[in-house]
Amino acid sequence: MTTVLEYELTEEDFLPKVIELKDLTKTYMMGQVPVKALRGVSLKVYKGDFIAILGPSGSGKSTLLNMIGALDRPTSGTVVIDEVDVSTLSDNQLADLRRNIGFVYQTFNLISRLDARSNVELPLSIAGIPKKTRKLKAEVMLKIVGLEDRMHHKPSELSGGERQRVAIARALVKNPSFLIMDEPTGNLDSKTGLEIMELVRRLNKEQGISLIVVTHDPEIGNEAKRIIHLRDGLIDSNKVS
Amino acid sequence: MHVGDVIGYSFSAIRLRKMRAGLTILGVTIGIAAIVALTSFTGGLQVVMTQQLEQGLGTDTLTVSTGGIFDLFNGGGGSSDFSLLVNDTDTISSMDHVVSTVAAMTKTINANFSGDAFPLTLTGVNYTEYESMYNTFVAKDGNIPATPENTDVVIGSRVADPWQNGTIIAQVGDEVSIVWTGRVNDVIVMKNYTGTVVAILDDIGGFGLGPSDFGFYIPMTWATKFFDTDVISSITVKMDTRNQDEIDALIQNIDDAFDGLVTVTQPAALLDNMNQILGILNVFLAGIAGISLIVAGVGIMNIMIVSLIERTREIGILKGLGMHRRTVMGIFLSEAIMIGLLGGVFGIIAGVVFGNLIGSGLARGNFSGGFGGSSSINGGFSSFPPITPVVTPDLIIGALAFGMIVAAVFGLYPAWRASKLKPVDALRYE
Repeated sequence: MTTVLEYELTEEDFLPKVIELKDLTKTYMMGQVPVKALRGVSLKVYKGDFIAILGPSGSGKSTLLNMIGALDRPTSGTVVIDEVDVSTLSDNQLADLRRNIGFVYQTFNLISRLDARSNVELPLSIAGIPKKTRKLKAEVMLKIVGLEDRMHHKPSELSGGERQRVAIARALVKNPSFLIMDEPTGNLDSKTGLEIMELVRRLNKEQGISLIVVTHDPEIGNEAKRIIHLRDGLIDSNKVS
Repeated sequence: MHVGDVIGYSFSAIRLRKMRAGLTILGVTIGIAAIVALTSFTGGLQVVMTQQLEQGLGTDTLTVSTGGIFDLFNGGGGSSDFSLLVNDTDTISSMDHVVSTVAAMTKTINANFSGDAFPLTLTGVNYTEYESMYNTFVAKDGNIPATPENTDVVIGSRVADPWQNGTIIAQVGDEVSIVWTGRVNDVIVMKNYTGTVVAILDDIGGFGLGPSDFGFYIPMTWATKFFDTDVISSITVKMDTRNQDEIDALIQNIDDAFDGLVTVTQPAALLDNMNQILGILNVFLAGIAGISLIVAGVGIMNIMIVSLIERTREIGILKGLGMHRRTVMGIFLSEAIMIGLLGGVFGIIAGVVFGNLIGSGLARGNFSGGFGGSSSINGGFSSFPPITPVVTPDLIIGALAFGMIVAAVFGLYPAWRASKLKPVDALRYE
């Protein structure tokens, strides 16, 4: 298909973009030494996408996730999330943006003194949603991840897989447009890892949630629609599987 | 995030570290308790002293002496060469607005009641005039004679029963040996005589310039003979006016009549002075107690900083979930304020209990020394009536507010530091 401007459009141009990164760089200071974690990354994530980001440690995977998750600002380049340019936002606006992003960490990052339901309620509580509504939503979400009988258990009373399910429920309870997962199976045995990935794949397929997963696990790579290899802060390859 | 949720979240953090929070709350409790106990006790003291002074002095009286205000409490007599004499009362009695006058001569003597000897302050007065001047000069046992014998002695209730435990050392009809060592016409003399107790006064309590529970009264006519002098310590004047302009005019008249060599004291003015002194004492004591609260505040800051370091990752999680800076600050500040509030509530309870303990302890005489004063009999008992600490709503609200403000001020820096953390750094914190 060709327009009058002789610009070639692909099928992807008609899909809603959830994330768009352009020439993204990030430089950290390690003491006095500047470290270039990202050296110019451009990437588009569409609705319903399932992207696996692979790469050796130090390749900039986590830095890239922090940018996509609006946890950090780039040194240069632009990050557009849900059509909002992150670099123009204040700290509070950035925080508001994060409320619509689901983030699942390798180490679960649950609040240890709160039970599973309260942990899932937390993003809703932060957004100022009334107690009754958030309780109901948290319970529904815990049912979806298969933890309806573990709602009142604290993280220390749950297995690794259960904790990760709580973390996923917490990430999804705000109905985010996309879900970011940093090594979601890294701290789990292979069987539990597979269960978690099955859950995530189902959410992607049935709910149409965009997924961006950083992983070392080739199994997850095989599940993804696109595989991005990062090396030394640059995209080495961007393949559709 | 709603305020209720912020408070609930903070409370869950406090509950998690019960021991640490409990000790910090204890620090605040001690500070607030000290403030409440001392302030309420001083308030109670002020009430009692005002009552006692009003009762002891009479608000419609003036006291004329040769010394300053505080020499009155030491039996009069100042550093001046000028002396008041017994018949100086005539000069004052003739003035406008004077109803009556009474002269008092005070001497320190040793009184020996069948083996129990005490140094006491003896007062020579005209019984009838003294009775009409002070309504507290009333006998509990015996009668105060209108025309007394030279040997007649009237004693205060605590002279008869010094320890208030039923150990009576003097009763009506008992003989008392009075020994005085002093100077007459430049010669040191030691004189003695034996008197008879004819009346024991009703309980008066407190202190003042008038009759006292520790008083020992003999007729003025005999006092002038026994001590061989007309020199008196003070003259008390009863007035028929409470108009300050007329009182000021009378004070001026008395002052002029004695060429400015006397001091005329108005009890009301003395009350003002006393209240002023107690006010300063109150601020001073509350200030000292306040220091302990500041120390508690440093304790709050300390645990809040420790908590901040321990919970860095948690702050990262909360910020990662979209929590605003001011909400993070609110969580930490409300933790500090909650500690201040709990410490305040416990402190007020402890302070009221402690204030009452000091008050009743002083009244029972468990605290020897202190305010016994010159009129107390040799020994460790006190002349204090029961002091009920004054706990006003202002004091409670003030103490609570002060506790919370100190907590908030010292919690501000850790809260600010928590709010400043970058989510990406906080999440990376190990």
